[in-house]
Amino acid sequence: MGVDVSSLVDMAIRESSLDDVLGARRAGALTPAQVERIRSSDLLVLGALADRVRAEEVGDEVRIYTDEAPPGAARDVVVLPRVAGETTGLDLLREVAMARTTGPRGVCVRVDWTRCGLELAQIALGFGANELAGRMASKRGLPLAEGEKLGVGKKSRLEAADVVKRRELEGFVRRAGRTPAFVQESP
Amino acid sequence: MLEVIRSKVERAERLSADEGLFLFRHPDVVAVGLLANQVRERLHGDRAYFNRNMRVEVTNVCVASCLFCSFAKLEEGAPGAHTMKLEEAWAELEKRMDDPPSEVHIVNGLHPGLPLSYYEDLLKGFKRIKPDIHMKCFTAVEIHFFAQLYKMTHRQVLERLRAAGLDSLPGGGAEIFHPDVRSRISHDKATADEYLEVHRVAHSLGIRTNSTMLYGHIETFEHRVDHLLRLRALQDETKGMQAFIPLAFHPDGNGMRNLPAPTAIDALRTVAVSRLLLDNVQHIKAYWVSMTPEVAQIALRFGADDVDGTIIHETIYRAAGSRSPSGLTTAQLVRLIQEAGRIPVERDTLYNVVHEHPRAALPEAALKVRDRMAARHLEVLS
Repeated sequence: MGVDVSSLVDMAIRESSLDDVLGARRAGALTPAQVERIRSSDLLVLGALADRVRAEEVGDEVRIYTDEAPPGAARDVVVLPRVAGETTGLDLLREVAMARTTGPRGVCVRVDWTRCGLELAQIALGFGANELAGRMASKRGLPLAEGEKLGVGKKSRLEAADVVKRRELEGFVRRAGRTPAFVQESP
Repeated sequence: MLEVIRSKVERAERLSADEGLFLFRHPDVVAVGLLANQVRERLHGDRAYFNRNMRVEVTNVCVASCLFCSFAKLEEGAPGAHTMKLEEAWAELEKRMDDPPSEVHIVNGLHPGLPLSYYEDLLKGFKRIKPDIHMKCFTAVEIHFFAQLYKMTHRQVLERLRAAGLDSLPGGGAEIFHPDVRSRISHDKATADEYLEVHRVAHSLGIRTNSTMLYGHIETFEHRVDHLLRLRALQDETKGMQAFIPLAFHPDGNGMRNLPAPTAIDALRTVAVSRLLLDNVQHIKAYWVSMTPEVAQIALRFGADDVDGTIIHETIYRAAGSRSPSGLTTAQLVRLIQEAGRIPVERDTLYNVVHEHPRAALPEAALKVRDRMAARHLEVLS
C-alpha cells in the first residue's frame, strides 16, 4: 500500500483542497486552519494523504510488538486506544490518519490489535499506522500458554503456538503490502 | 493504467478483464476504494440499505462435499445432523411476530431424502403465518439439485416452488465459477453453467435473484475477475440480478482449514473491484456476517451500498469460525450506517424503500471523542 503513490491519489488530495498540506508538513509549518481542514476531509482522502505521508516519513516497515510494547514517549509514539462503545472502526482510522498527518514528523503511529481486532489493525496500516502491538492470544482471546502447540496444515502437525501466531501476524502485514519487523527489545 | 481506469469510471464506461485484474493487484487499496466510492455515490448518493430479515436453515444434511463448508453433514443421523420438522421452522417466524421481519431467507444442505412437497409446504406455512412475508429461498445449487432429484426441469421446479410462495432466490452456491477451482473445492454440485442457467430461468420467470462469490481460498485474482465477468454477462442478458455479495472464506472446521482466512484489506478490495466491474448490478453488499460489522461499516466507503439485514440466527458462517454476532437489531444497523456517514434506508427484499432514516448527527459520545482528538492534535502543533 502506498508503494505506488498514484496520480489518482494526488488528484483526490488536490480536489479536496489538501495539496498545500503536504508542502506545509514537509516544511514543518502546518497551521491550525490546515489541521481543521484535514480533520473535516473525507475519510478515504484523509487515508490517502496519511498513507502518502507515512511512505515519505517512515517507509514500508511495520514494527510489531508482541510482548510488552514500550509506552509512547512524549511526541515520539502516538498510542491509539479504542474506547469501547464510543468510537467506531471509522473513528479509529480517522484518528490514525490524523496522528500521521498532524503529529510530529516521523512519528510512530501504533495500533493495539487486542483492542481493535486484527482486521481493523490491518486496515489502519493503510491509513498511516506503522506499528502494531498486542499480546499474542488464541482465537478466543486467551493468552497463549507456555509451550502451547497448535495444529497446522492438512495433517494438523503440531507447531509452537507463538510461532504460528507470529506467522499469521507477518501474513497480515505482508498482505497489507508492508514489511513486517518483529521488535524484541524491552523499552 | 489507473489514469485510464479513472477516466473510464468518470465517463461510466465498462472496465475490461485486464483492468479488473490491475485493480485487484494495485498496491494502493485506498486509491481503488476512492474509485469505487465514486461509482457508489453516483448510483446511491449517501444512501445505505438494510432490511429486517431472518435466516432459517431447515436441514444441514447434504450430499455435496464442498471443501470450504463447515455446516453440512453427509447423512441423516450423523453427529450434528439436523432436519427441522415444518412446525419447528414455522415457529422461528411465529415467535417473532410481535416485531416481524419482512423477509425469510432459507438456505439448506442438499438433502437426498426429502420430497419436493416438504419445501412446498414449508413455503406455504410461512405465507399462512404472514401472507406478505417475502420468501427468499433456495440457492441455484439447491434448485439444480431438486431438478435432478425429482427428475424435473429447472423451470418446472421454480414454477412449483413459486406457486407455493417462493418470491426470489438468494445468491449462495456460486463459490468460484472457474472449473480449475470449482472442480477442486465443490466438484459434486451444480457447475458454473448450471448455476447461471438456474438464474437465467428464474429471471425469465420474473423471479429476481442475488449472486455471490466465495473468495480468499485457493482462487487467484484471475479467477475472481472471470467470475465477476460471467455474472456481468448474465446480467447484460437478463437484468434480473439485484445485488452481488462477496463472501469471505472462513477456514474453521472444514477441508481447507490449513488456509488463512482472507484479510480485511482483501475484503475491502474485493468489494471495491466488484463495484467497479459489475457496472450493471445495482447493489453491492457488505455482508456483515462474512466480514464483521466493523469492516462492513468501512466497506460502505469502499463501494458497498448495502449491509444485508438483521439476519437473526445465522449458523453457516458461525460453523466456519466467524466471530460476527448471529444477528443485529434494526437499531444497531441504523447506527452502524449512520456512523459511516451514510443515510440508513430500510428496504424490502426488492429494494422498495420501507423507511428512510435521517442522517443522524453523531452520537454525543462519538462527538466528544472527535473533539478530544482535535484538541490533542492542535496541542501537538502548538
